[in-house]
Amino acid sequence: MLLLAPVDVLNELLLKFFSAETVNYFVWPLIQIGLVVTLVALWVAYATYLERKISAFIQARLGPMRVGPWGLLQPIADGLKLLTKEDFIPEKADRWIFFFAPYIAVASAFIVFSVIPFGPDWAVIADVNIGLLLVLAVSSVGVLALILAGWSSNSKYALLGGLRSSAQMVSYEVAMGLSLIGALMFGRTLSLSGMVAAQGSDSIWYVLYQPAGFLMFLISGIAENNRAPFDLPEAESELVAGFHTEYSGMRWSLFFMAEYAAMVVVTAVATTVYLGGWYFPFVHRLEESGYHNLYVLVSVLVFLIKASIILYVYFWLRWTLPRFRYDQLMDIGWKWLIPSALINIVLSAFAVFLVQALNGWRGIQTIEALDRGLNLTATGKGVTIAFGIAGLFITGALLARINWRSRDFNLKTQRRNIRLVNVPKGKPARA
Amino acid sequence: MALVKTPKPTLAQKLKRFFFIDLIKGMGLTLKYNLGAITDKDAVAGKGIYTEQYPKVRPDVAPRFHGAPRLNMDPETHDTLCIACNLCAIACPEDCIDVIAMDVEIVVAGKPRRKKVLDEFIFDTSRCMFCALCQEACPTSCLELTQDFELATYSRAGFVWNREMLEQGRETVKYTS
Repeated sequence: MLLLAPVDVLNELLLKFFSAETVNYFVWPLIQIGLVVTLVALWVAYATYLERKISAFIQARLGPMRVGPWGLLQPIADGLKLLTKEDFIPEKADRWIFFFAPYIAVASAFIVFSVIPFGPDWAVIADVNIGLLLVLAVSSVGVLALILAGWSSNSKYALLGGLRSSAQMVSYEVAMGLSLIGALMFGRTLSLSGMVAAQGSDSIWYVLYQPAGFLMFLISGIAENNRAPFDLPEAESELVAGFHTEYSGMRWSLFFMAEYAAMVVVTAVATTVYLGGWYFPFVHRLEESGYHNLYVLVSVLVFLIKASIILYVYFWLRWTLPRFRYDQLMDIGWKWLIPSALINIVLSAFAVFLVQALNGWRGIQTIEALDRGLNLTATGKGVTIAFGIAGLFITGALLARINWRSRDFNLKTQRRNIRLVNVPKGKPARA
Repeated sequence: MALVKTPKPTLAQKLKRFFFIDLIKGMGLTLKYNLGAITDKDAVAGKGIYTEQYPKVRPDVAPRFHGAPRLNMDPETHDTLCIACNLCAIACPEDCIDVIAMDVEIVVAGKPRRKKVLDEFIFDTSRCMFCALCQEACPTSCLELTQDFELATYSRAGFVWNREMLEQGRETVKYTS
């Protein structure tokens, strides 16, 4: 009751000044946007802090400790430092493109948050019925920023970084889109809120139906964000800093922010589509006992925690794996991820078909309405989950079959074997 | 016919690849370090976090470490223990110690005597190699190389320590946070 009051009071106060339409379609969305932008900016800032802390812990260090207790104010100090630094534009750079590229990166990363359902009711800005398509489309615009930045810098490192990132992001975009289709078959909607509702009404997470799809989405998401082990566009040892070599100060930090925001976007989409979004068992009891706003807030918290767990996996992977070679990167994209995504689509289609064919067997009931989930019974869920896990093995076996001619990733072994072949008989070769 | 002779992987190797065993092993290793760092009670125990918070927390130096010199005093009378015997200056391989003594008249058992007492003690830390031979030579345990290691100064002259500095210790900024 206490938590419910302020919103209503504010609503009545707003209705005194504006018409009901203005309040509903302009003022409240603005407030929501403000809240989401603040939340996401804070999240992005503290993602950098967490990244530094976690990397430090993994390397048996302490990480930032001086600014505030346990270095908690470090992101703010970093932001202030970057704001006051010189914003340098190279003389031969294409000034306007150089100027605007970071804004494109940040905007394309932040626009996606307009359709992400952080929670039920007022915690989502816009429930678009093509939400997932919009997410994929807008996040692809981020590539443009990297290409423009790399091109306009008029520097060879930046250009090479931009080229690499465009090649990488374009090829992983395909796998990312394809890997989501399996989950869409179960959710039967493109709206992100609809996906959460479908998982809620089935009371299951789609990661159980789609383990292969989840893995593929995560891998291609990491590649899409240019994160290690796919961070070739900004490989320090080869390209200085990749596409943002020539950037400094606030403009550089905008790229940094865009990278982390894009990361948060991928984690948020993965949470919504595969981990049930804000849905969590027993939370809806708060709604039933009348604490509507508390229910929304707890749901938002659940969403953030789920997304943070995936974010942790991001950091964990980055500080575990070394960088891929470029041919390996393209191999993984085109020869492993895209075929496996296609196999996954076929398998999930077959699973949906099988469950429908079994309609009535042991009480399995399937699709009642087009805008709802599959509405399966426990047996049906069991069949689908078994299908998902079997799908992992089938995908693996098929991929091994498809790629049996692929070169071994271990170049050293290859060289040794080549030498062995050419050595005359009777002389033992030493590698 | 294949140009490259590739050894056929065994079934165990195939399974290891199929289930990403190596990846899981690596992830497990990093997770172990991460959890060890989070659950580390003693920060410098060597198990979790190796970082020393230096200006905040004084580091543990090795027991045989020799640092800044010091002239010890009698704890009761606060007179110097140095008898100006010059043995430290003779022992010093770098010749960085100067003991300046003077004679004073004293009365021992009713008879006037002359006694050699310490007037000034010059210790050049810029030339010192901290071998502690002076400390070994000192018959009264007066000259001692302590474990204090913050010897940097702003000028060359600052490295030359006089008697007051040696007895009182040099003032350094102590950081607390």
